[in-house]
Amino acid sequence: MSGDGIIREPMLEIYLFEATQLMEQLEEISIECEKNKKIGTEAINEIFRIMHTIKSSSAMMMFNNISVLAHSLEDLFYFIRESKAINIDFEKLFDLVLLGIDFIKGEVSKIENDCNADGLSEPLVLKSSNLLQDMKKANGVIIKDDCQEKKEDTKYYISAYEKLGSEIKQKYFARIFYEDGCEMENVRAYTVVHNLKEIVSEMYHIPEDIIESDDSVEAIRRDGFLIGFSTSTSKEKIEEQLNGIIFLRELELQQVEEYPLEFKALKAKIQIILENPITEETIYKETPDKLDTNKEEVGNIIKSGKQQSIISVNISKLDMLLDLVGEIVISEAMVTKNPDLEGLTLENFNKASRQLRKLTNELQDVVMSIRMVPVSTTFHKMNRIVRDMSKKLNKEVELVIIGEDTEVDKNIIDHISDPLMHLVRNSLDHGLEDKEERIASSKPPMGKITLEAKNAGGDVFIIVSDDGRGLDRGKIYEKAKFQGLVTKPEGELTDKEIFSCILLPGFSTNESVTEFSGRGVGMDVVKKNIDSIGGAISIESVVGRGSTISIKIPLTLAIIDGLEVAVGTSKYTIPITSIRESFKPKENDVIADSEGNEMIMIRGEAYAIHRLHRIFNIDTEVISSNNGIMVMVEDNTKAACLFVDSLIGEQQVVVKALPTYIKKAKGIAGCTILGDGNISLIIDVNGILDR
Amino acid sequence: MKKVLITDDAVFMRFSLKTMLERNGFEIVGEAENGSIAVQKYKILKPDIVTLDITMPVMDGLEALKHIKAIDKNAKVIMISAMGQEGIVREAIISGATGFIVKPFNEETIVKVFKKL
Repeated sequence: MSGDGIIREPMLEIYLFEATQLMEQLEEISIECEKNKKIGTEAINEIFRIMHTIKSSSAMMMFNNISVLAHSLEDLFYFIRESKAINIDFEKLFDLVLLGIDFIKGEVSKIENDCNADGLSEPLVLKSSNLLQDMKKANGVIIKDDCQEKKEDTKYYISAYEKLGSEIKQKYFARIFYEDGCEMENVRAYTVVHNLKEIVSEMYHIPEDIIESDDSVEAIRRDGFLIGFSTSTSKEKIEEQLNGIIFLRELELQQVEEYPLEFKALKAKIQIILENPITEETIYKETPDKLDTNKEEVGNIIKSGKQQSIISVNISKLDMLLDLVGEIVISEAMVTKNPDLEGLTLENFNKASRQLRKLTNELQDVVMSIRMVPVSTTFHKMNRIVRDMSKKLNKEVELVIIGEDTEVDKNIIDHISDPLMHLVRNSLDHGLEDKEERIASSKPPMGKITLEAKNAGGDVFIIVSDDGRGLDRGKIYEKAKFQGLVTKPEGELTDKEIFSCILLPGFSTNESVTEFSGRGVGMDVVKKNIDSIGGAISIESVVGRGSTISIKIPLTLAIIDGLEVAVGTSKYTIPITSIRESFKPKENDVIADSEGNEMIMIRGEAYAIHRLHRIFNIDTEVISSNNGIMVMVEDNTKAACLFVDSLIGEQQVVVKALPTYIKKAKGIAGCTILGDGNISLIIDVNGILDR
Repeated sequence: MKKVLITDDAVFMRFSLKTMLERNGFEIVGEAENGSIAVQKYKILKPDIVTLDITMPVMDGLEALKHIKAIDKNAKVIMISAMGQEGIVREAIISGATGFIVKPFNEETIVKVFKKL
């Protein structure tokens, strides 16, 4: 939406929001129906309603190209619904619907980016009406016209309410003109007739046929609606009633001795049908409080769009709110941990500040939960990609989604959509074999891609796995060596390390560049995207069985649990989620190799040592190993030890991005303000370990 | 200020109508996204005027109209219809709808209609 801070007119904002949501719903339903090769009544109704809504709102917003397209698709489904057509070419139908969805999404995107929605929908509209013609032929059904209903016998009638003689009746002539553009003048005329019925003993009108004929609309616009009637009601009352007509532009009402000439011709054709004074109507009982809704497989897809008690909030407001809460957390710490208070015994103050702490924590939790959205929308977007690609590549693929209710910060969702798409495309393009190959390897002919989301500690895991041909360790190593991306001999590298080579820029084992992937610019962009939100990717694979790519992302970017450490006079924060353990090393445990790289042996394994004071060029007196502390940290592929002066303590920390005038420093993820007012730099473990 | 209950399954339509009405001195006391909710809210809120979209899930506008008229035969109900729904609108008139507006509408249209109610 207006992520760049542009505040749009609310009506446009809501239009865009709803249009996007409806297109997503429509896409889901379409793909589902196409897959099952059937459309249930629920689905037809839902699709019809969506098209109907888009048609109306787009017209209101003057996006006529969208409105016309929606209208033509609405007509298609109207036909399917009314004729209960069974001879339907599902592929053709939903190909068209999906093209329509793409068009509308495209226009919406243009509008969102402040461009003109200037796309031409005529080609699709034409396709749609051609398809409708074909469907009609294929089903040989005559559509019930919406206007067709049981004929009203009383075009002209004599009321059975002839009051026995007492009041004197007068003849009147009325001509009614409606406002331009009010539409459906024939039905408006019908309304007048219907309402006059109660009080007249006879009535004639021109045009005569206001029910079946569409020409009557033109006639009424041109000459007005003429009525001749006889009643005992006073002229004032008649005038009052007629003046109350909605969209009335002009009323001519006269008392007459005889109806004008035009009506004489009608009278000659008169058929006298006595109107039944007691009109049959279904007696409507009090509405039952619970209504029986018949939801089929479409039900759970509709659910996401039709919830009550939900308001939509502008994302920028949420960002501001979270910022403010972050500031409050910092300020709270600055007050309660203020150096001025050091050494003082303040029982009441402490009690109060504990309460304050409790409340700010709660506030923080609530605000963060507001920003959490389930990954389901993003996951479901992949359905479309799987559908399109499996058709193009002629591979049968099933997409399995697990854990779609898992929630992630809204900021993060926006960043995982593209990487996910790329990973899914990769699986489809390179990972999964075609049917013959699969059958030859005794695999089920239908390939499977699994998208899973789950919570673990302070992180969310998004896992993309397929049961395709897997990664070839040897081939990858060869290519990496050829590109100069690895120096160590193959035997020294773990599977994970070799597989992670495919994330390096310029790497691609694809001989041919396909439409979807293979230029070697994909995976490294994925890694960059994931890195930018503080996440990590790890790859597992078994040749011939499939591959699994796990993305670990933090629950939120904004507030993390950190371990404060001191290096010289500087303070650093290490994210707790990256820490395995910390300990005081013994001098003898530290060994150096010929190049001066230091290592430490822990339980039989060697870990590299990264001295923070050297990395960041800090003056400190803590040089020898046994004076400082080792903090063992890990990223997605390996673990190492950071050497620091001392540990200060655990602290919840609000992450602030480094100001833009400071160039990105490798190894620093951001900064924060501590309770005592000092600044602490937040360590980016990935960055340090990559050195 | 006359009190209005707006019914339409599209958020956008409800918002548009609400904006136009509020700008012209009407109070929106409630919104409903289908006919069933409209009937329930009608009972509670007792608005002066009700607007009903015709095409809605769960319960459409025509049925909701009949229920509302059964609760109060003098209820003022405006149907919001689309072109091509002549038959349904006629039935609505027979069932006691006060009038109807055809989509798409603008503020001028709304004012013309509502000031007469």
